[in-house]
Amino acid sequence: MTSQIEATSAPHPIGDSVRRVDAREKVVGSAMFADDLQFGAGLLYARIKRSHLPHALIKRIDTSKARALPGVKAVVTGEDYAGHIGLYLQDRFIFCRDRVRYVGDPVAGVAAVSEEIAEQAVELIEVEYEPLPGVFDPEYGASPEAPLLHPDLGQYEVANFIFPEPGTNISNHFRIRKGDVDAAWAQCAAIVERKYRIPHVQHVPIEPHVATARVDENGKVRLWGSSQSPFAQRNLIAKSLGLSQSDVQVIAPYVGGGFGCKAGVSMEALAVAIAMKVKGRPVKLRLTREEEFYTAFVRQGLVAYFKMGCDAQGRLLAMENRFYWDGGAYTEYGVNITRAAGYSSSGPYNVPNVKTDSYCVYTNHPVGGPMRGFGMPEMHAGLEQCIDELALAVHMDPVQFRKINCIKTGDTLVTGMTMHATGLSECLTRAAEAIGWGRKEPPSAPNKRRGKGIALMWKAPAMPPNAGSSAKVALNEDGTVTVSVGGQEIGQGSFTIAAQMAAAALGVPIDWVRVATPLDTNYSPYEWQTVASRLTWSMGNAITAAARDARRQILEMVAKAWNENIEDLDIIDGKVISYKSEEAISLKNIVIYGIPLPNDQGWVGGPVLGRGSFMPTYVTGLDAETGQGPRAVVHYTTGAQAVEVEVDMDTGRVRVLRGVAAFDVGKAINPEMVRAQMEGGFVQGLSTALFESLQLKEGVLQNPSFVDYRIATSTDVPPDIETIIVEVAQDDGPWGARGIGEHAMVPTIPAIANAIYDAIGIRVGAPPYTSEKVYLAMLEAGLVEE
Amino acid sequence: MSINAHPELPEFDYVRPATLMEASRFLAEHAGEARPLLGGTDIFVRMRDGFYHDKYLVDVKHLDSTDELSYDPQRGLKLGAGVNMNRVMASPMVQAHYALLAEACRSVASYQLRTRATIVGNICNASPAGDTIGACLVLGGVLNVHGVGGYRQEPLATFFRGPGKTVLQPGDIVTSIEFPPAPAGAAGVYIKLGRNTWSDLSIVGVTVYGYADAGRASGYRFQAALASVAPTPLLVPALEEHLASHPINAEAFRQAARLAQAACSPIDDVRGSARYRKAMVRTLTEKALQMTWKKLGN
Amino acid sequence: MANHRITLKINGEYEQVDVPSQMTLLQMLRDKLAFTGTKNGCNAGECGACTVLLNGEPVNSCMILAVECQGAEIVTVEGLAQDGVLDPVQQAIIDHGGVQCGFCTPGVLISARALINRNPHPTPDEISEALVGNLCRCTGYLRIVDAIQDAAARQESLAARL
Ligand SMILES: Cc1cc2nc3c(=O)[nH]c(=O)nc-3n(C[C@H](O)[C@H](O)[C@H](O)COP(=O)(O)OP(=O)(O)OC[C@H]3O[C@@H](n4cnc5c(N)ncnc54)[C@H](O)[C@@H]3O)c2cc1C
Ligand code: FES
Ligand code: FES
Repeated sequence: MTSQIEATSAPHPIGDSVRRVDAREKVVGSAMFADDLQFGAGLLYARIKRSHLPHALIKRIDTSKARALPGVKAVVTGEDYAGHIGLYLQDRFIFCRDRVRYVGDPVAGVAAVSEEIAEQAVELIEVEYEPLPGVFDPEYGASPEAPLLHPDLGQYEVANFIFPEPGTNISNHFRIRKGDVDAAWAQCAAIVERKYRIPHVQHVPIEPHVATARVDENGKVRLWGSSQSPFAQRNLIAKSLGLSQSDVQVIAPYVGGGFGCKAGVSMEALAVAIAMKVKGRPVKLRLTREEEFYTAFVRQGLVAYFKMGCDAQGRLLAMENRFYWDGGAYTEYGVNITRAAGYSSSGPYNVPNVKTDSYCVYTNHPVGGPMRGFGMPEMHAGLEQCIDELALAVHMDPVQFRKINCIKTGDTLVTGMTMHATGLSECLTRAAEAIGWGRKEPPSAPNKRRGKGIALMWKAPAMPPNAGSSAKVALNEDGTVTVSVGGQEIGQGSFTIAAQMAAAALGVPIDWVRVATPLDTNYSPYEWQTVASRLTWSMGNAITAAARDARRQILEMVAKAWNENIEDLDIIDGKVISYKSEEAISLKNIVIYGIPLPNDQGWVGGPVLGRGSFMPTYVTGLDAETGQGPRAVVHYTTGAQAVEVEVDMDTGRVRVLRGVAAFDVGKAINPEMVRAQMEGGFVQGLSTALFESLQLKEGVLQNPSFVDYRIATSTDVPPDIETIIVEVAQDDGPWGARGIGEHAMVPTIPAIANAIYDAIGIRVGAPPYTSEKVYLAMLEAGLVEE
Repeated sequence: MSINAHPELPEFDYVRPATLMEASRFLAEHAGEARPLLGGTDIFVRMRDGFYHDKYLVDVKHLDSTDELSYDPQRGLKLGAGVNMNRVMASPMVQAHYALLAEACRSVASYQLRTRATIVGNICNASPAGDTIGACLVLGGVLNVHGVGGYRQEPLATFFRGPGKTVLQPGDIVTSIEFPPAPAGAAGVYIKLGRNTWSDLSIVGVTVYGYADAGRASGYRFQAALASVAPTPLLVPALEEHLASHPINAEAFRQAARLAQAACSPIDDVRGSARYRKAMVRTLTEKALQMTWKKLGN
Repeated sequence: MANHRITLKINGEYEQVDVPSQMTLLQMLRDKLAFTGTKNGCNAGECGACTVLLNGEPVNSCMILAVECQGAEIVTVEGLAQDGVLDPVQQAIIDHGGVQCGFCTPGVLISARALINRNPHPTPDEISEALVGNLCRCTGYLRIVDAIQDAAARQESLAARL
C-alpha cells in the first residue's frame, strides 16, 4: 500500500523529462506576450522625458507646449506624485521631483493618441537643470569627499535587515565578523591579495519591457506587463500611490526573458502614473532597445578587494573581503545584493576566520537590480581566481585545494549557520573528471594555446526571510486539473514543473494538468516574486500542498461514499482505487458533482478545490555588527563548472572549446529542463566573461544598443556543454528539490579566467576577457611583440 | 544610438520613380532631403536614431538594370545596385572568379540582413568599417553612376572622401559596380576581427589580394585594403610596392605588414583602442598575406 | 504623409492594406494585422526576433518598409504549421527543449525553415552560422542547433517515405 501523502502513479511525473507545457503555443506563435495584447482604438501611447545629465537639480519644468500639442492627452511630472517607491529601501520617486541622478532618470511622461505624437510632446517639454558633480566610482562614493546623492537617506522607509548610513552615500553596510582574521594571518603560509573591478552588465532579455495601464473611474488600476513580480508590483505601486493592494490588478502574460530585470518595479509605475491622468483609457509604454540598455535595472558594478590565506597544507585560514557595490542612482533593490554577497562572502569554502564589509553605494550610474545570480557571479569572478592563485602559491593543484576547503555537510558557515546536506564535493570531482583535469591537450594551431579552468559556486535564495508562495488546485468535470500559481513562467520552465508536481501529488496523468494563465493578481494565488531560483522549491511546496489537499478531499468523499477507510484508497492515473474492495472510480464528474450515496440517500463531496501555501519560518536575523545568526538563509545550491579554452596569440581572442557544469539540485524534477538551465546559464556566463560590459563614461552609456553591446551568438558557444546533475536532497524541498536557474552562470567568469591563466600564464583580471584586453595583457607580459 | 532613438521610423515619403532619369531629377530637386534607398539597412537605423532626417526615400532597387548580376570572361563581373549580398555569395560565377567578394559578404551581419543589404549600399554608405569595400577596392571595382547629366563611371579608388562622404552629388545614383576579369590564379583573403566570431562590425578588417604578375620584380602583385582604421576604407600602396620589389618570403610579408601598420591612423572607440587596432593591422595583414600566399599554391 | 495601398500574400492569404511610407513590415504585421507571433526585440536588424520569409527568403521585418512588400509573399511563424500539423522545425525544437521564454523562437524557426530549404543537410557549423542573426538569451543555442539538425533529418525521412 502506498502512503497517504506520497502518491505513486506510473509513470511518475517527477524526474521525468516531460515536454514543456508552454512549448506548443510558443512555436506556433500564439503564446501571448505583453506587447501582443490588443487594446483597441482607445489605446494611448506613452513616452518618457528622461534626464540627459547624470546628476542635476531640476530648476524648472515647462510642459505647456507639450500639453498644447493636439493628440496629447496627459503630461505627468514629479509634481503629481509625492510617494516613494522601492522594494527594500524606498528611495525613489516614480518621476523625479527635485533632482535627477542618472542618465535616463524619468522627469516627465506623456500620453498621446500615437507614439509619434507622444514623442514630439516629450521633445517639447523644457527642463532646466543645475548640473551637480557626480559620483562614478563606488569606492569614491563611499568616501567622505563624495557629493551626497541622497540627503534624505535617513528618512527613507527600509527593511529591518538593511543598514543605511545616513549622511553618506552608503545605503547598506553589511558586516561579517567571524573568528579573528588579524590573528590568523600570522599562521598563513601564503596570502593572496587582489582587487577586481567588475563592470556593469545588462540583462538583455530579447523582449524589452512593456506595460499597459488602465485606471477606471473608481480609481481601480489594471496593469498588463511583462513581469516577474505581479504581486510585488501590485504591492509597491499601491503603496506608492496610496491605494489598497486590492485595487491594483496586475496581469502578467508570458515573459520573454527576465533574468531579474522584470522583478520588483521599474518602468511599470510610470505607465500607471500616466494612466491615472487619463481615466478609462489604456496607456501603453514600451521601452525601445536603447532605453532598455539605458534604464532597465542593470547588474551592478563591483569593486572587490579580497585577501585570503592558507596554511602550508592548503587549509584556508582567513579571508578579509571588502565589496563596494556600484548601486547606481537608487538602491532600493541593490541593497539586498550587498547583503547577499556579505552573508555568502566566503564563497563555498569553510573558512574559520572571516571579516567582510559589503557596502552598497549610491552613484550616478544606472539603477542596480537583481540579475541572475544576485551578486554571486560578480563576487565569485574575483574570489574564485584568488582561490586558484592561493592554491598555486602553496604549490597545490587547484582542484585538490578546493577539495580540501569546499563546504561540506555540517560545516559552520560564514554566518554561523550549519550547512545542510550538500553535494558540492561530488560536483567538483565530477566536473574535474569530465574536463580531463590535469591533461593538457595540444592546441588546434601553432599560434594558439590551450588551458583548463575550474570554479565552484554557492548561492542561497536572497529574499526576505518570510517570502511566501501559494497555489490552488481545482478539478474540472472531465477530471482535468487546473493549477493556479502566482509564480511566473519566464522561460525557466516553472509552469511545467508546476504541472508535474500537481500530477504527481494528486495521482493524475501529467497531460490532465493545465496551468492557469496569464497570471492575474485578482485570480492567481499570492507569490512573492519569480526571483532567487526559489519557485521549484517554494512554489513547488505550495503546489504539492494544494494537490495533496485536493487529494484528501477526493479520498474523503470516496471513502464516505464507499464506506471504506481512507487508508485503503489511492488515486492512480486519474482513478480512485481501493486496495481493499478493489473498486475503482474515475475522477471524472465526481470531482465536481460529488457521488450519490446508495439508495438515494443524498450526495457526498462537491467541487474539489485544493489550497496550499508555503513560507519559510525558520530564517533568523543576523547581528548587525557581526553578521552572525543561527540561520541566515533557507539553503544553498552549490556547483562547479570547468572549461577548456584556446587563446589565439595573434589576436588575443579566447574561444571556449568545452564546458562542463555540475550542480547539486537536490532532485531534478525535470532533468532535461535542469540541463537546459545549466547550458543557458553557462552561455550567459560565457557571454559576460568574454563580451559584455556597459561602457559608462561620466555616467553616459557609450554602447546602448546591440551594435556595441555584444552578447554571445550561436557561433560563440562551444559545440558541447556537458551537464552533470547531482542530487543530494533538500530536506524541505518538494521531492528534495532546490533551485538551479541562477546558479548556472555564477562560476563561469572565474572558470574561464582560470583557464586563460592555464593557457598563457597571465591573470587578465576583471572581465570581460575581450580579444583586446587579453592581447594587451600579453603585450604587457612580453608574450607577444608590439 | 541615443536614449532618444525613435521607437519607430519617423515620417517620410516613399517614392518609387519609374525611370532612372526621373529618380535622378527627383533626388537633385530635393537635395538634402531625399536619398536613394536600396536595402535600407543603413538608412533605417540612422533614421530611427535621428541621424538622418530625409523627407523622401527614393527606391532605386528596381530601376533599369539594378537587379542584374552578370559575368562575361572578357568584360568581367557586373553587379546591379539592387543585388543583395546573399545573391552575390550564392552566384557560381562569383564563387569561381571573385571568391574574395563572397567571403567579404559572408562576414556582414547575418543571413537575414544580407537578404536586403547590398554591396552598393555598403559602398555608398562609405563607412570605414564597410566589410565589402576592401574586396571591391582590390578587385578594381568601378561604379556606374547615373546623374541628372546621364551616366558616368567612378573608380572606387577615388570614391571616398571621409566617413559617410563620397564624390556623389545630389541626383547621383549608383546603378551597378563592375569588376574587370580576375587575373588567372588570383587569390584573396578577408580577415575580419570582430568582438564576436561572426556578425559584429569590425574592430579591424584586412583584405589581401594577390596574383602572379611577371611585370613585377618579385613576380607577384599583392594589394591590401584596411577597414576601421582610418577615416575611409584604406588601400595600402606602400605594401603593394614593397612586395612588388622584394623577393616574396616571410620577412617580406612581415615588413609589408609593418608598412600597413604605418599607413593606418585608427582612433579609440567603443569597439577598440587605437593601440590594439594598430597591433592587429600588423598581425592580421601578415597573416592574410601568408594565407593568400598559400592559396596561390605556395 | 502618403499612404500606399498594397496587396500581398501573408501565410497563403491575400491581404490589402493601407500603410504609411514609414511603416515597417513588422509594424504592419503586428499592429495592423495582429500577426503578433513575429516579435520586436530591437527594431534595428540586430536580434532577429522579427524574422519572416519574404518571397521565400528570411528578412528582418523591422528593416523593410511595408510598402516595399507590394506583391510579395510573406510567411510568418503563424504560417509554418499546416492544418494543425507542426513543421518539422517546430516539432524538433519542442522535442529538443530548444524553447525557453519563447521570444526568440518565432524568428529562430523562420531562419531554420529557410536554412533547410536552401540546404537540406546542414552541418552544425552551418546551422550556427545561419542563426547568427537570431539572438537567444535563454537557451545557449545548443538545443536549437540540435533541433534544426534533427528537423532536417526528419524532413528527409518524411520525404523519402512519400
Ligand atoms: C544589424 C546590422 C548589421 C550590420 N552589419 C554590418 C557588417 O557586419 N558589415 C558592414 O559592412 N555593414 C553592416 N551593416 C550596415 C549595412 O547593412 C551595410 O552597409 C549594407 O551593405 C548597406 O546596404 P543597403 O542596401 O541596405 O543600403 P541602404 O541603407 O539602402 O543605403 C546606404 C546608403 O547608401 C545610399 N545609397 C543607397 N543606394 C544608393 C545608390 N544606388 N546610389 C547612391 N547612394 C545610394 C543611401 O542613401 C544610404 O546613405 C549592418 C547593418 C545592420 C542594420
Ligand atoms: S526586431 Fe528586427 S532584428 Fe530585432
Ligand atoms: S528562448 Fe528566450 S530568448 Fe530564446
